[in-house]
Amino acid sequence: MESLTTTILEALTLLFSGDTELWTIIGISFRISTTAIIIAMIPAVFIGFVLAYADFPGRRLLISISNTLLAVPAVVVGLTLYIVLSRQGPLGEWKLLFSQTAMVIGQVALSFPILVAMSHSAFQSVEIRAWDTARTLGRNPLSAFFIIMKEVRFGLLGALFAGYGRIIAEVGASMMLGGNILNSTRNIPTAIAMETSKGEFAQGIALGIILVSMAFILTMSLQYMQGKGSIRT
Amino acid sequence: MTDKILTHIQFSNINKYYTKKHLGIFTDRKNSKAILDSAEIELKGGECVLLTGQNGSGKSTLLRILAGMLKPDSATVTTGFESLSWRKANKLIRRQIMYLYQEPYMFDGSVTRNLKYALNDKQLGSKSNDQISQALKWANLEHRAETSAKCLSGGERQRVALAQAWLKQPSILLLDEPTANMDEESRRSTEELLRRFKDSGTALLIASHDVNHFSQTMDKRLLLDKGKICEMTNQVTSAHDNVSLFPSTSNKLKA
Ligand SMILES: Nc1ncnc2c1ncn2[C@@H]1O[C@H](COP(=O)(O)OP(=O)(O)O)[C@@H](O)[C@H]1O
Ligand SMILES: [Mg+2]
Repeated sequence: MESLTTTILEALTLLFSGDTELWTIIGISFRISTTAIIIAMIPAVFIGFVLAYADFPGRRLLISISNTLLAVPAVVVGLTLYIVLSRQGPLGEWKLLFSQTAMVIGQVALSFPILVAMSHSAFQSVEIRAWDTARTLGRNPLSAFFIIMKEVRFGLLGALFAGYGRIIAEVGASMMLGGNILNSTRNIPTAIAMETSKGEFAQGIALGIILVSMAFILTMSLQYMQGKGSIRT
Repeated sequence: MTDKILTHIQFSNINKYYTKKHLGIFTDRKNSKAILDSAEIELKGGECVLLTGQNGSGKSTLLRILAGMLKPDSATVTTGFESLSWRKANKLIRRQIMYLYQEPYMFDGSVTRNLKYALNDKQLGSKSNDQISQALKWANLEHRAETSAKCLSGGERQRVALAQAWLKQPSILLLDEPTANMDEESRRSTEELLRRFKDSGTALLIASHDVNHFSQTMDKRLLLDKGKICEMTNQVTSAHDNVSLFPSTSNKLKA
């Protein structure tokens, strides 16, 4: 193995010289994960809201189920979807396996429980009084829903970031469902795993730098927004 | 087209149990407690009714049922000549009833922003700023217009809530212990604002565990005890005495 300094220099060169292969991988990663989070977000936030405020039989059971799903490892989610999407599987005819669509499906499944659980607790942080107040002020249910969403915007953003963080860096499901095909389904985590196993560290380090910078930017921007939204007299 | 204005409304046969649930699914009727037991109440425009009763007697529960926030086990609502179920009435008249919490909830943002939430779509047009500044003036909150509402004192929150009511102009205003933790001065200014609602024809129902509050404003004093409501005569002044003064309303339950 070359010295660490040389490898890091090589990684930085890859990043800043605009290496096509590297940036294609980065583009694929962000496109797939962004699509997945947008698809998962809307129903998940709504379910989190219903779990927090609606009173119906079986509500607590649903909360337990959603929390259990949080703990299901990504490889198990990947395996399940692999079976469903494979040739002999129930959805085999759709020929989705080893495509970006399959990866999006996998990432939707992975981020969904996090989004539900975290938006549920975000909504729970606001008392039911907020909802009742909006309604008694004359807001219709939809408008009251948006008012409450505004109340918990930071919690919801936190949920989005956590969900995004889980799927963008996740190897198992991406590998099984995407197949790590260059220029199609090779994303950041599968590329890192493969390059590292070949003993090539430069590309892996470059991609790692991207992931860490992204995490840093997301966290900082959340903090910045929270600071701006804090209470002042 | 505005809703027809309610000037007279009667709620009867209001029953409410708080049921215990197992695993959040199975209701346990045996361990349920009747909070309201065929309670009855009548509200008229321009009339101020004071609802007293000890802590835990069910005043908040009753008000929230009337406001449409809490589902009763049964209730009949009569307006004018029609008799409706609670659910049906809730759809038709909810917009004309407003409930004010003891500690009103303030949304994120300025007082002005909070007042905006009380405007209906029609009011939200070009004149909305006018309306809001009038409301601020009405409640003596002009100096607080841009203050973050979450930073207000209890008395100021109550005034914001009343300004919201002023914008919404409900036919019926339900207030839950509006002056419970207030000093004398805030209490007086709240009572003054409530009197203006009354003079403009709003039906007021004020829940208070202290029978001596609002003596200047109220027309009728009711007592909620053991799930039933009865009218109190004027010579009764202490909430503690009168529980036993009305055996006729409670012996049915304990028979
Ligand atoms: N959500 C609830 N679940 C179960 N019991 C409740 C609930 N809310 C209130 N209670 C009970 O109902 C009774 C009446 O409460 P409440 O209406 O708040 O009385 P008040 O406003 O007169 O003090 C109390 O004994 C209280 O413990
Ligand atoms: Mg109460």
